[in-house]
Amino acid sequence: MAVNILEVKDLKIGFEQDKKDIAIVNGVSLQLEKGKTLGIVGESGCGKSMTSLSLMGLLPSGVDWQNGDIYIDQMQINKKSKKEWRNVRGKKIAMIFQEPMSSLNPVYKVGSQIVEMILSHEHISKKEALQRAVDMLQLVGIPRPERVVNEYPHQLSGGMRQRVMIAMALACGPEILIADEPTTALDVTIQAQILELMKDLQEKLQMSIIIITHDLGVVAEICERVVVMYAGEIVEEATVLDLFNHPLHPYTQGLLNSLPDIETEQEYLPSIEGVVPAPADMPAGCRFFDRCEYATGKCKNKPNLFTTNIGSTVRCWLYESGELIGGM
Amino acid sequence: MVSPLLEVKHLKKYFNLKGSRADYLKAVDDISFTVNEGEVLGIVGESGCGKSTMGKTLIQLLTPTEGEILLNGENIANLSPKKVREKRRDMQIIFQDPFSSLNPRMKVYKIIEEPLVNFKIGTKEERKQRVYEVAKQVGLTQKQLDRFPHEFSGGQRQRIGIARALVSNPKLIIADEPVSALDVSIQSQVLNIMKDLKKEMNLTYIFISHDLSVVHHFCDRIGVMYLGKLVEVADKHELFSNPKHPYTKALLSALPKSHPSRKKERIVLRGDVPNPANPPSGCTFHTRCPNCMDICTVTPPTLKRMGEKHDVSCLLYE
Repeated sequence: MAVNILEVKDLKIGFEQDKKDIAIVNGVSLQLEKGKTLGIVGESGCGKSMTSLSLMGLLPSGVDWQNGDIYIDQMQINKKSKKEWRNVRGKKIAMIFQEPMSSLNPVYKVGSQIVEMILSHEHISKKEALQRAVDMLQLVGIPRPERVVNEYPHQLSGGMRQRVMIAMALACGPEILIADEPTTALDVTIQAQILELMKDLQEKLQMSIIIITHDLGVVAEICERVVVMYAGEIVEEATVLDLFNHPLHPYTQGLLNSLPDIETEQEYLPSIEGVVPAPADMPAGCRFFDRCEYATGKCKNKPNLFTTNIGSTVRCWLYESGELIGGM
Repeated sequence: MVSPLLEVKHLKKYFNLKGSRADYLKAVDDISFTVNEGEVLGIVGESGCGKSTMGKTLIQLLTPTEGEILLNGENIANLSPKKVREKRRDMQIIFQDPFSSLNPRMKVYKIIEEPLVNFKIGTKEERKQRVYEVAKQVGLTQKQLDRFPHEFSGGQRQRIGIARALVSNPKLIIADEPVSALDVSIQSQVLNIMKDLKKEMNLTYIFISHDLSVVHHFCDRIGVMYLGKLVEVADKHELFSNPKHPYTKALLSALPKSHPSRKKERIVLRGDVPNPANPPSGCTFHTRCPNCMDICTVTPPTLKRMGEKHDVSCLLYE
């Protein structure tokens, strides 16, 4: 029986502008199974990073939590005080960011940054903590870890810095790792190394991972389930195979089609016309309405998430009956 | 026989490093290639391999240290700054970051018109017609020309950058990572526009990118760079179906799968790209090469012809 280690229910995040509430994440619900990898895909501004920050209790000021509950291991965490949040972060759930240089402190040695993190959660001696830091660096495949602990972030390459970030995130044995675009700033050969490392560590440590990315290649590589977000809403959720074999939502289909593929030859790439609407003037009905080639009058009403007969859920009126259409 | 539009011979760009152990950083080190009219040449490589420096050197935003750049048979390397400016009428550049490459204080109309003013082309009225024409080609409305860059999204800004590059009717466009700052759905829009414009204006592109699948889609011929050197040049199909250089093989295998059920043999390269200020001896790739031989640590390889239109720089094939 699959156990959900993380559950998010009806999350709504927004800000106030001209006395109007503007939602940037609108009614997002997620389930993460223990030991599995969930991908959240979407383009810039779709709310994927805000969703992940809210899971860490790290929403920037000016952005409000408006609704929703988060449970880790059946324990509700969003009602916790700032101090209690600190015990959750790092211990239960940890995060790595896109840009490893700006998330490491440039004036402290790599080792002392990892030690600081360990000591704030565990009552062990500094020496033990430093030894743990060296072990962690070894675990993430850094050569000569006992020397790297005494180096500064600028002395390391991008791939090494991302390994340090992963070592730091895993130092207190969190059950959930959130990776926000972990390979976007890296070159392809280094990206391949980091993805291999994450798969490896997941197996060794039995971690559950949420990976946030705009890159469907990364999703194909590492995820088991995928959530597609568009303009602050989930538009589709499926297993990774179903998503690639039967993409349902017109937006998901558009995304997959617009990727150049080295196996095929195309004169022109299919593209999705137009741009994502601004948060302040979202269409009242389906948010993809303006860009959708299948749009009908019905789409002026907001669609629900419909469950289809293959098990995927999709927010589109085309699938109201739950049947797949047109063999897609 | 088609005569090449651009011929680059032994191009070098070294940066002086004062106070460090090495004297020079060899960002572009002895690169030669040709581009025929109407062709799209892709240049791929990882960050720090010198591909952007090469683009900027070609258009002489950086002065080359050595070598020749022949545009239509005429050497434009080391011309006087004034003469170089005239030559830029024929070759223009599109930059990666559509946010920092547009002057935030200029209206879009002025931005697109500027090259025409610079090259003293046409009267005010003629320039206006030309700006409107180009704007229409890249999908901008006349109304939008009266706005400032910050009012546009990334994809639209890149269209402005393209319009500015094309307004003086150049023959050669150097596109330096033109779509890497854009979302996938916008990326395909911009690539399609660039393809249309190529046909309409008979353009030649040098397309610099780190993204192999984009290069595969867009280019006819591809050059692979590693630490300032071209290690392999071949037709697109040849390069993807029959890669020769171990680095090219590793790059291709590192591409993420396009479908989760597709199996992939992966060559994971050890370590990182070495510091370009202190490159390894012999073949610069030998520190990461899975096929490294003893000789590779001593003798630097040169680009050799391997088959029809396929050049490789690797001692395995000597």
